[in-house]
Amino acid sequence: MKKIFILIIFSVLTISAFSQRNLTALQYSIGFGTGEMHDYISPASFRGFTFDYRNLVQPNIGIGVDIGWNVFYDEMPDDVYEYQNITYSGKQWRYSNHFPMLAAVDYYVQKNEKFTPYAGLGIGTMYTLQNTDMSIYTFEKDAWHFALRPEIGVLIKAAPGVGLTIASKYYYGFKAGDLPAQGYFTLNFGFVFVP
Amino acid sequence: MKKRILTVVTIFSVFLLWGCYPQGPDYVEELDVVVTYHNDTYDFTAKQTYAMPDQIVKITGNIPEGEEPEFIPDETAQEILTMIEDNMEALGWQRVEISEDPDLLLGPAAWETTTVVYWYDWWYWWYGGYYPGWGWTGGYYPPVYYESFTTGTLLMTLVDKDVVGANGNPIVQWTGAVNGILTGYYDEARMSTAIDKAFDQSPYLKTN
Repeated sequence: MKKIFILIIFSVLTISAFSQRNLTALQYSIGFGTGEMHDYISPASFRGFTFDYRNLVQPNIGIGVDIGWNVFYDEMPDDVYEYQNITYSGKQWRYSNHFPMLAAVDYYVQKNEKFTPYAGLGIGTMYTLQNTDMSIYTFEKDAWHFALRPEIGVLIKAAPGVGLTIASKYYYGFKAGDLPAQGYFTLNFGFVFVP
Repeated sequence: MKKRILTVVTIFSVFLLWGCYPQGPDYVEELDVVVTYHNDTYDFTAKQTYAMPDQIVKITGNIPEGEEPEFIPDETAQEILTMIEDNMEALGWQRVEISEDPDLLLGPAAWETTTVVYWYDWWYWWYGGYYPGWGWTGGYYPPVYYESFTTGTLLMTLVDKDVVGANGNPIVQWTGAVNGILTGYYDEARMSTAIDKAFDQSPYLKTN
C-alpha cells in the first residue's frame, strides 16, 4: 500500500512540475464518522486539519496532494463488555487517529472572480491507528487502507493571493488488516494561498 | 512573505491541535477494571457448597521450600473475604469447611505490580546549545524523567477438585480479577464495588 502511495505521489508531482501556478490550502477539519467507524466512536471529531497542495495544470484543473489528520475520541461509560468467555467491566477511552495521504485532482468552476466552486477526487492511502484504553492497558490496532475521497468546496477570494476555503470531504478507507472499513465526512474551513 | 505566513500558520495550527489531543481518565477510580472468565461447559447450577481459606495469600514470587507464604493484613483480608462470601451467598452458595467435602474451592490471592516509565529529554539535550546568547544550555547527558505507579490485583478462582487436567491439577472453572491503581491506603468502598461487579457479571454462577 505504501509503495502504491509513493508511486501515485511521484506521478502527481511529476505532472505538476510542468505547471507554473499552484495553490496551497490549510484547513481546520471537523469529522463525522460513518458506518463501523461511527459504531466504534460516535461523537464528532473537533480535532483535525488538512493540508492541500494543487498545481494548476490547466486553468480549471488542479492536481496535487491531500494530507490530513483527524482524531476521534470517546469516553465510554463504566460498562460490561464481553468477548467469548471473558467478561470485563470498567471505563474505556477510545481513540481513532486517521492520516489520509492522497493524490488529488480538482475541477474548478470559474463563475466569477470572488467565488470558485470546485469538485475533486482523491486516491491513495489512509493510515488508521486505534487505541482502546482500559485501566493502564491499551489495545492497539492499526492498518494502511486503500482510500478514496470525493470532495466539494468553494474558494473565496479575500485579498490578492489569499483566500478562504470551505469544503466537505468524505474519506473512505477500505477494510484492511484487523480493521473494518473506515469512513468519515469532514467539514473543512481554512485559508488558501495562491502565489 | 506569504510562504513565511503559511509556514507559521501551519506549524502553529499543528501544535495547537496536538496540544488539545484528548486525554483519558481524571480520577484513579476510573482505572479500576474487573475481568472474569468462565468455563462455559461447566455446570455451576448443579453445585452448592464451597470452601475458602481464612487468609488471602500475597503473591511475591516463588516460595522456597519450608517457608511460609506472605499474607495481606488480616483486617483487610477479613473485609474482602466477607465481601466475597456475601456475593457467593447471594448466588445461592453455602460456605463450608474444607473437611466437609465442598463442591468447589475458592482461592483468593493478591499481588502488587510497580511499573516504571522513563523518558529522556532528547530535545533539550540536542537543542540546548542553540539558544542565542545563552551558550550551551544542555548538559553532557540528556535529562531523564520518570513516573511510577503501582497496581494491585485481587484474583479469585473457583476450582472443582474432581475435574483435573493432564498435569493432575484441578482446572480453574471461574476466574475473577480486580485490578486498579493503589493509592497507599485501603479503600473499602472501591474494593466492594469491584468485587460486587465480578459476581454481578457472572450470573452463570447462580446455583439452584
